[in-house]
Amino acid sequence: MTEMAILFDSSRCTGCRGCQVACKCWNDLPSEPTAENPYDSVNWDGKFTHPADLNSCTRLIMTFEDFEDERSQKRVGWAFGRRACQHCTNAGCVNMCPAGALYKDEETGMVTYDQDKCIGCQNCSAACPYDVPRYEDRGGKTVINKCSGCVDRIAQGMMPACVTTCQPGALQFGTREEMIALANERLQLLRDRGYEDACIYGENEMDGLHVIQVLKHGMKPHGAVENPQIPPAAFLSGIMKPVTAVGAGATVLGLAAMFGLAAGYKRDTLVYNDGNGDTISLETGEVTKQGNGPDERTVMEAITENLPIGKKGGDDHE
Amino acid sequence: MQNTDVIMNIGSNSVENHPVSAKWLHKAHDKGAKWMVVDPRYTRTAEQADIYCPIRSGTDIAFYGGLYKYIIDNLIEPGLAEYTRTGKNPDNYNFEYLINYTNASYILMEEFDFDPETGLFSGWDAEKETYDAHSWHYETDHEEPWDTSESGTYAWSVKPGVPAFDKPVLTVPKKDATLQHERCVYQKFKEHYSRYDMDTVCRVCGMDKEDLELVYSTWATSCAPGKAGTILYALGQTQHTYGAQNTRSMSVLQLLSGNIGVPGGGVCALRGEPNVQGATDMGMLVNEQPAYLKWSNTTDRDTLAHWLSSQTYSDGYYTNKPKFMISQLKEWYGENATVENDYGYDWWPKVPSHDGSDWSEMSSFEKMKEGTMKGYYAWGMNPCHSAPNSGNVRRSMANCDWVVVVDQVITETASFWDAPDMNAEEIGTTCYFLPCALIYEKPGTILNSGRWIQWRQQAVEPWDEAKPDYEICDLLWKEICRLYKEEGGANPDPILKMKWDYYVDGKIDPRPVAWALNGYKLEGSDWSQGFESNADGATLAKGSINLLPGYAKLEADGSTACGMWIYSGFYANNDAPLSAESQPVYKRNNVDTSGLGLYSDWAYAWPNNRRVIYNRASADLQGQPWAEDKALVKWDLNEKKWVTGYKAGMDIPDFAATKALPDGTTQQIEPNNKAFFMLWEQNGRLESYGMVDGPLPEHYEPFETPLSENLLNGRLNSPCYLGRPDDEGKKGLGTKYSDESTRRATADEFPYVATTYSVTEHWQTGAQTRACPALVEAMPGDMIELSPALAKEKGIQTGDKIRVWNRRASVVVTAVVTPRIRPLTVNGKTQHLVGMTHHYSWSKLFGLTTHGAVNDLTPNVGDPNSQTPEYKAFLVNIEKTTV
Amino acid sequence: MELSRRSFFKAAGAAFATSMAFEFMQPSPALAVESSSEWKLVNTEEYTNICCYCAGGCGSLCSVRDGELINLEGDPDHPINQGGLCPKGATMFQLRNVVNPETHEIEKSKVRQTKPLVRRPFSKKWEPITWEQAIQEIARKTKETRDAGFVETEEVKGKTLTVNRCESIASLGGSQQNSEEEYLILKMMRALGIVAIDNQARV
Repeated sequence: MTEMAILFDSSRCTGCRGCQVACKCWNDLPSEPTAENPYDSVNWDGKFTHPADLNSCTRLIMTFEDFEDERSQKRVGWAFGRRACQHCTNAGCVNMCPAGALYKDEETGMVTYDQDKCIGCQNCSAACPYDVPRYEDRGGKTVINKCSGCVDRIAQGMMPACVTTCQPGALQFGTREEMIALANERLQLLRDRGYEDACIYGENEMDGLHVIQVLKHGMKPHGAVENPQIPPAAFLSGIMKPVTAVGAGATVLGLAAMFGLAAGYKRDTLVYNDGNGDTISLETGEVTKQGNGPDERTVMEAITENLPIGKKGGDDHE
Repeated sequence: MQNTDVIMNIGSNSVENHPVSAKWLHKAHDKGAKWMVVDPRYTRTAEQADIYCPIRSGTDIAFYGGLYKYIIDNLIEPGLAEYTRTGKNPDNYNFEYLINYTNASYILMEEFDFDPETGLFSGWDAEKETYDAHSWHYETDHEEPWDTSESGTYAWSVKPGVPAFDKPVLTVPKKDATLQHERCVYQKFKEHYSRYDMDTVCRVCGMDKEDLELVYSTWATSCAPGKAGTILYALGQTQHTYGAQNTRSMSVLQLLSGNIGVPGGGVCALRGEPNVQGATDMGMLVNEQPAYLKWSNTTDRDTLAHWLSSQTYSDGYYTNKPKFMISQLKEWYGENATVENDYGYDWWPKVPSHDGSDWSEMSSFEKMKEGTMKGYYAWGMNPCHSAPNSGNVRRSMANCDWVVVVDQVITETASFWDAPDMNAEEIGTTCYFLPCALIYEKPGTILNSGRWIQWRQQAVEPWDEAKPDYEICDLLWKEICRLYKEEGGANPDPILKMKWDYYVDGKIDPRPVAWALNGYKLEGSDWSQGFESNADGATLAKGSINLLPGYAKLEADGSTACGMWIYSGFYANNDAPLSAESQPVYKRNNVDTSGLGLYSDWAYAWPNNRRVIYNRASADLQGQPWAEDKALVKWDLNEKKWVTGYKAGMDIPDFAATKALPDGTTQQIEPNNKAFFMLWEQNGRLESYGMVDGPLPEHYEPFETPLSENLLNGRLNSPCYLGRPDDEGKKGLGTKYSDESTRRATADEFPYVATTYSVTEHWQTGAQTRACPALVEAMPGDMIELSPALAKEKGIQTGDKIRVWNRRASVVVTAVVTPRIRPLTVNGKTQHLVGMTHHYSWSKLFGLTTHGAVNDLTPNVGDPNSQTPEYKAFLVNIEKTTV
Repeated sequence: MELSRRSFFKAAGAAFATSMAFEFMQPSPALAVESSSEWKLVNTEEYTNICCYCAGGCGSLCSVRDGELINLEGDPDHPINQGGLCPKGATMFQLRNVVNPETHEIEKSKVRQTKPLVRRPFSKKWEPITWEQAIQEIARKTKETRDAGFVETEEVKGKTLTVNRCESIASLGGSQQNSEEEYLILKMMRALGIVAIDNQARV
């Protein structure tokens, strides 16, 4: 296996969204509007980022943020961001997936999946620091939909659809090593051009992403998640969903789920005691005390108190 | 583009609207080129650039004038005397180019004049409100008639079969190579732009002086010998009442900067339509015929003899025009065209040129309004959404008896009677919608902005009953011919004498049309008997086809037929005439031997597969490239010959590099100063007598301007702008409008300068892109972009619905409040600008809106040279509303 | 990893293009992967085309199986776009076919109009019409309008000129067509005597 990566160089990006629509075309994904609902264009919210976020039929969007910048002769900047799966090395979603639907492609390290195996539990969503996985209805069954890394194309010697279509060369594809080297070259060039906040993203995050980004205006305007962690809330939502399914208050001892803790991901099996709210690691035997009673909120707080600020819990799936 | 040192986008948002340009601009940028964007708003292109300079819409000529003055003051004047003395270029300016390749040294006529008080050039006729260009010509040194003797250059022009015409006489202009003569073009030019100092330019255009100076000084680095700067422009320059002068301004700047004909130089016209280059080449315009020849008219082109004598140049390559013209007539009328009947010239309709009338798009609708134009064909064009003052267009079209729309979807033009502001029950027009094939549902050629001719293969059959346009056209033609043959009618000859032999096995086919465009020798060409396969499997005519290898083989004696002389050579392989894939047009070798991105073995570029036109100017007077790494052609000093062509990594020469001798051999022509051989002077024109509205670009205000006076001269608007409301007198060029909506609006009522543009996700009126769900999803509506300052004043936030209105219409679009638009200071006062996209409307595609089309707001006035409307600068008022 | 690139030689028509496409479909030796039957482009033929939007002239590849368009993307060998396409170019597929959001099946675009229609005077709706009927009616109307508005000769400055002009019909458009089609449209319109000929180059 050779670790491969997509390079997103925001300083070459023109925000054209060729990638966003090429992804839809290659993967046969529908869009709003439809023939049945052509909708009135005057209802648009005036936001360039559109759709506003990833959704059940959108695996990749470009984000737009403009701002005043008194440090620059141009006095204004316009940051284009690329929002899609980052293909983590430490991929919480893969580890959380009870059905084995999510997996790492052996050839490239991209995080891909088999929709046929997906059971729709949505644990992966809770485990994702980037709030990426979405779910669609396929013949009455809820299944994951996210960037597949175009491993089908890669296997045929082609590049991912978004990379192929990118005219300004903002997206490139190659070995992770090459992409990181290229990113560093670009970073130097941007610094020379006076972009002081320029940075590289993805080299070390989540033990290394398979999407390397060169962010001209720094992380924030391009929508990058600083210091990403697998949300501890993942444990809860991952566990509590089945709980809800069998009815509130039911004892769920024996319910196992995969979860991770912070950046140094640990593969673990968790048991949740509905009686006292404690969680027990089946592998290490470590008991995490959650207070005195079965107060669900206490459990939540205990797990999330060390959460980094600004992480989403994956609670807005479609 | 990848070879340039300075990029200037002005009037072009190239990375959005010509996205592939970004790839090549980035290459130059990464190599160290400076990238500048001059634009009323901070676009996605500006985000790529190093320098951004705002400008008020419609003030480009003031900007260029200031740049000319900057170059004159800082580069030319300080070095001219030294250059005259030594003949050696300084490091920072290319005097050799200016003095030898442009008309800077030409002496102008004594009457040439410009009066800043009135804002008028010499030759103004106040009665007619038009110019007589006589005084803009050069003073003649001596005359040289054509040598038509048997051994003379022009012996061909008196051969049997060539129609008689008055041969042109070369009037050799007087020159002063020191540029000191007070009436030489350079001195007149310098004097003209002395008014365009930076402070004045900033007052007119609204930018800060530091920004302007940074742009000027950065551009000036491209004036050094061996350096190149490129200008990318698009409709931001052309869509003005002085749009043609804007484009001339850029050519003038590039001549002044020594940047034309040079790799990485030039004026890049980024053309908006897929085959607009083809349609322009094809002369699908009132006054044009295919391949940049002029259509017949009622004044200087009323007969073939007059056409030949008025159109044929006295020197340069256009001395060959009679060959192109006669070959074209032979293609139109075949054996019905003979020297005795002037090759059928009189069957061509004559455009009225004696009465100042205009027959272009905008005026066509006025003729419908007047009731004289009753039938209308729209081939993939959507004026009820795209034409300026489109509400007026719809009301005018309702006067037509019939309208035929050929398109892929029901456009606003097809369904104009169904518009929210129209009442179908009162409209008696019969409308036909004919469904056409998509681009990959039919074969044929298309041209790009770089003049590459490329072949499209047919991938699939059209859905249902959709047909290629060529088939639709053929069905109509055959039926019209049948009616005239059987019933007669108003002069049927122009119809029935026309040659229409584009069939393969009885079916209409684009390949025989390609033969017609490429040209063939009539002797040995006959495919009327059908086709058959030969032993090698190639399909050949049972007769034969004698395709020409190029336009050098065209004759003026009726022995060759060619619809499009400039394309000649693109489809010239006689071994497989039915295989487009075996023709030069389908070459697919993507190895670039030049290192400059010429890719000369991919497809075919007209003329003669040249990739950079005027490439002679890439080398000095001795034929040595200004920069070794930017060599397009080169004179080998030892071998005494031109080094050219793909194998040598060079371009095909766009100048007379060799001469054919009577014995059949060719002789090398030593380097000379004839760098622009498509002009009779063969030098580039800083000053030109060819424009309707003045010999030098001069700043005027848009038809609707926030100013009450022109800060640079005494005349507010261009003296010659086209299409006037009839409450402003009946003088001047073009149509006089009677509709209330055409009245001029003023800034007290409509205080905001508006401009229109496209976004990268959509294309024009959206007839195609609004049919693609992914694109509508990505950019779901039209917007009005405005600055935070104006938004605050008006209590507007992003997403609010904004009513935008003026004299012509009222529309509702979504607000986008952004720092990318900033207020400008114009003549000491704050001036707000707003920008609007124009993709959506009521037709029943995705994202339909019943709140009006943005072009209902744009004025139907235009440029007198090009008849292009002024979409880019007009006045509006705005308010927050609800829908 | 070596990404495979094809060289696309001068092809002699569809048959040759097919064989090239077949070659392309073979797994590249470096990767030694098999084309699975689930591979989107299995058994497709490739045709080259040029984008229908701006005049950049980007090349596209149309992948066709059993006569139907399966995929359209940038032509990787094309020197201008080198495989890339802008958002408009990248969605050219949707001009013909779109994905139904309910069934996820690819189906014919519903907003494209693929049959001739007529709207009669004062009517509020379109009606179907056959091609034959439409062509007959349009040709008839063209002739009537031309004959009524035809100017054969004209007095200009004391001279009688043959002008053969039809002032009552206009023809707009042409930048969307292929060049051969433009030429046919132009010839037809000029033969009718039309001078009000214009196209998108004007604006």
